[in-house]
Amino acid sequence: MKKTSLLVGVVAALVLTATWLTSPNSLVQSDLPVHEPDAVAGERIFWAAGCASCHATPVDGRRAKGEDKLRLGGGLQLDTPFGLFRVPNISPHPSDGIGGWTMLEFVNAMQKGVSPSGRHYYPSFPYTSYARMRTRDVMDLKAFVDGLPAIVGQPEDHDLKFPYSIRRGLGLWKRRYLAVDPVIETTSADSQLLAGRYLVEGAGHCGECHTPRDIFGGLDTNRWLAGAPNLDGEGGVPDITPAGKNVSAWSAEDIAYYLESGFTPDFDTVGGTMVAVQENMAKLTREDRAAIAAYLKSIPASKLRTGAADSNDDS
Amino acid sequence: MTTSSSLRHLFLALAISATSIAIAGDDPARERHEMMEGVRDAAKPVGAMLKGEKEFDADTLQRSLATFAKASEKLGDLVPEGSEGGEAAPAIWEDPDGFAAAIQEWSDAISAAVDANPQSLDAAKPVVGPVFGACKNCHDSYRIEED
Repeated sequence: MKKTSLLVGVVAALVLTATWLTSPNSLVQSDLPVHEPDAVAGERIFWAAGCASCHATPVDGRRAKGEDKLRLGGGLQLDTPFGLFRVPNISPHPSDGIGGWTMLEFVNAMQKGVSPSGRHYYPSFPYTSYARMRTRDVMDLKAFVDGLPAIVGQPEDHDLKFPYSIRRGLGLWKRRYLAVDPVIETTSADSQLLAGRYLVEGAGHCGECHTPRDIFGGLDTNRWLAGAPNLDGEGGVPDITPAGKNVSAWSAEDIAYYLESGFTPDFDTVGGTMVAVQENMAKLTREDRAAIAAYLKSIPASKLRTGAADSNDDS
Repeated sequence: MTTSSSLRHLFLALAISATSIAIAGDDPARERHEMMEGVRDAAKPVGAMLKGEKEFDADTLQRSLATFAKASEKLGDLVPEGSEGGEAAPAIWEDPDGFAAAIQEWSDAISAAVDANPQSLDAAKPVVGPVFGACKNCHDSYRIEED
């Protein structure tokens, strides 16, 4: 009798702890800054954040180009080692898209990885990077997305392998990997460098592809931007730190020009999934691209030690 | 009997290897790769001018455009069935009309730039931009990345 109640107590405690550890952590209305959302400013954030690269509906099986990038009906599939992700509709359609969302729901999705119904999003949606954005920028982004075409239709849900299929487990994952602090700490007051860090580590979410992941799928920030296997296809994503073979020989001007034009210093063209990224970067300002370049050139050696050795081996 | 059969095998083997050598000499995959490397080399000085690293020179531009024009005429003939591989994407053979249209876009842009015969960087930018844009567009669909 006593034993049974002890067991019940222990189980209850475990369940409560697990519930608490895995429960979604959201912002409340009073956490939002007082800010009038600006759709024009939001367009710059839209391209910086690369929303269209995943959410624009493919046309005839190919990635969307030109105006079609503004049709955010989803449907792209990401075939990764964790399973098949199907990109959802984030167009302003009231039921199939996110047209019915409040500002608070949008910010919680972008920066906390929590859906309006309180479910965790998978980090294939790079909220771990977007968490570093200024909330007012996220609010501007919503104002821009609200003005895009409403698209009918919802892609099917993801098809993931066990244990990744247990959504609730992401609560624990977020405790370990969701942070708002910058990856590269600096005491520098150089405004260009800080602007570059903000774009690369936040909205630009460059680390999501260029940084290797550990066995739990979290970014290994000790090898920040030091190159990684391509999760959605063959080959590798290059090391873009000053230790990498790709960027080491490029000047900051070369990097900025590449992001603007899609041409390397050898006048070869950008390729693979970077094409869509480069086309987004081309829509930013000259100052934005120069800031990104300045940041990439500045990544300190301490963050490269392990990464540099590894990427030299496999490149 | 054994001897003559071995001889016949030897003869057959020689004939087969001679044929393979003949095919290897006529290697469109390699030819197109070398041609595209030539295109890239011709693009470099033009790119440096557009980027502002080199002073604008109308003759250099026209020479590079001539290299592009020759390559754009030839490229369609260098992708026969059976020459798949290298950086050429399977889409070239799956969607030959799309590939032909991409080459045509490039060729049209080159012709327009040749005809415009720009004499300054400001005049060159709007006509050379589409030539370079066509490289990127075509590579995006019809070239695969090799590291």
